[in-house]
Amino acid sequence: MDVNEAQLISRCQQGDQEALKEIFNQYHQKVYRIAYGVVRQREEALDIVQEVFIKLFRSIRQFQGKSRFYTYLYRMTMNTAIDHTRKMKKVPSFSMDEEEGFQLSDDAERRPDRILDHKELEARVKWAMDQLSPDQKAVLIFREVEGFSYQEIAEATGSSIGTVMSRLHYGRKKVQELLKDYLEGGR
Amino acid sequence: MKSECSSISKLLEKYFDQEVTPKERSLVEGHLPDCPACRMALDSMQNLRILIKSPVEEAVEKENFPWVWEKIEKGIQRKERLGLWDFLKSWLDGTPLLKRKILIPAVAAAVILILITAPLLFKKTTSYPTLSVVEYVESETYNVMVYELETPQVTVIWLFEGPEEESSTS
Amino acid sequence: MRRKASFFVILILLLSPFFGDVAFAQVQVRVRVMEASNVGSGFDSSLRDLHDQLGSLFSFSSYRLLKDEKVSLSLNQSVLLSIPPERSLELTLINQRRVTAEIRVKITRGGRELLTTLVRLAPGRSVSIGGPKRGEGTIIIALSRVQ
Repeated sequence: MDVNEAQLISRCQQGDQEALKEIFNQYHQKVYRIAYGVVRQREEALDIVQEVFIKLFRSIRQFQGKSRFYTYLYRMTMNTAIDHTRKMKKVPSFSMDEEEGFQLSDDAERRPDRILDHKELEARVKWAMDQLSPDQKAVLIFREVEGFSYQEIAEATGSSIGTVMSRLHYGRKKVQELLKDYLEGGR
Repeated sequence: MKSECSSISKLLEKYFDQEVTPKERSLVEGHLPDCPACRMALDSMQNLRILIKSPVEEAVEKENFPWVWEKIEKGIQRKERLGLWDFLKSWLDGTPLLKRKILIPAVAAAVILILITAPLLFKKTTSYPTLSVVEYVESETYNVMVYELETPQVTVIWLFEGPEEESSTS
Repeated sequence: MRRKASFFVILILLLSPFFGDVAFAQVQVRVRVMEASNVGSGFDSSLRDLHDQLGSLFSFSSYRLLKDEKVSLSLNQSVLLSIPPERSLELTLINQRRVTAEIRVKITRGGRELLTTLVRLAPGRSVSIGGPKRGEGTIIIALSRVQ
């Protein structure tokens, strides 16, 4: 952690909202990336960003600098995003959203060569990711979206590197299986 | 060849994630040209990464985070106010002031005091009554957000168009 | 009983000036319709007084004035203006208190009501309604009191 960041955190711990704003300016995009990676929906992801920074302001006194600040923040983000998905849990389907009620028909399933609309594919990826356990999803998003190293993922998830590799392996395997039509030249 | 493939395939993910040692890297890279199966496995991992990552990149690129910080500030203030309100409630529940015999004369005395001092207060102050600028908003077409700032004094009613309105806009 | 009643009467009489309506002949409102976008850059000089407000809220690079009108509103009488894109803006003075004027704002399109809002305009405070798209830009309507 550099000196500037340490000072910002210290000010934040003393209730300085301007310090929180500077932290927000620095990290809000990254927090949004993780949130969007989990929920894949703009409004929800923005809600999560707000929630994370409010939570951060209330809990930052507990941050003792034992881990890197960004892994502390990203862990908070991931937990908040996954809590959101639990609250908003829908029956697994290919429907994109409630208003549009779009569903992938059986006919489409039998035609892997069909060129899918961008939104349909997004819905399918979201569905596949939702089939993972929270731990597998977290590891996959930290690796694929954020490009974290195994060490950084271990720190952000509070687990060992071996556990990270195992979750990554089984998470990838499951999602690859669910999306195999699109991964094997079907896109 | 088969046993080599099975031992190399265990390293493929680490290789893909650039977590291999130099020795492991040269083992994998020595094996790949002769193994379509392992190359296909790597392609599949790469395609999966694109599927997971691209929509996120697109979303971040076009996002301008409208009023997110302002909502965070309000959220922090709201939580602080709630904490204070709970404290007041518990204090009021216990206070003997709420007994009828004391309450009515106490309120009457407070009103008279306000009436006497109000003209003096109104003379000095130049601020406008603190009513909300927007009383209500009704729309069946738009999702609406109302945003008010004191400094500078600005109120914005922002309309989010649905697909129907977007397509009919000239 | 008589004492209680006379106490309340005096109380109401003393408090009534603070809640009574003040009748003014007319309220002048300035309506400016602008197109904000990220295509090009520039800030229309007629929008100078809104510069700080707009800048604090939005990150558009260009603000172009499309319409600038001053309207006089009388109590319960509506004034209709056409605004892009293909919409109408109806302003009606509903009430006027000491310094604030309560104005009902309706935006319609082809006779269909898109938005109705009641806003309180005081001198020095503007209300903006924005969001509808027009090509690459976004329409923002700024309403402010004219002294």
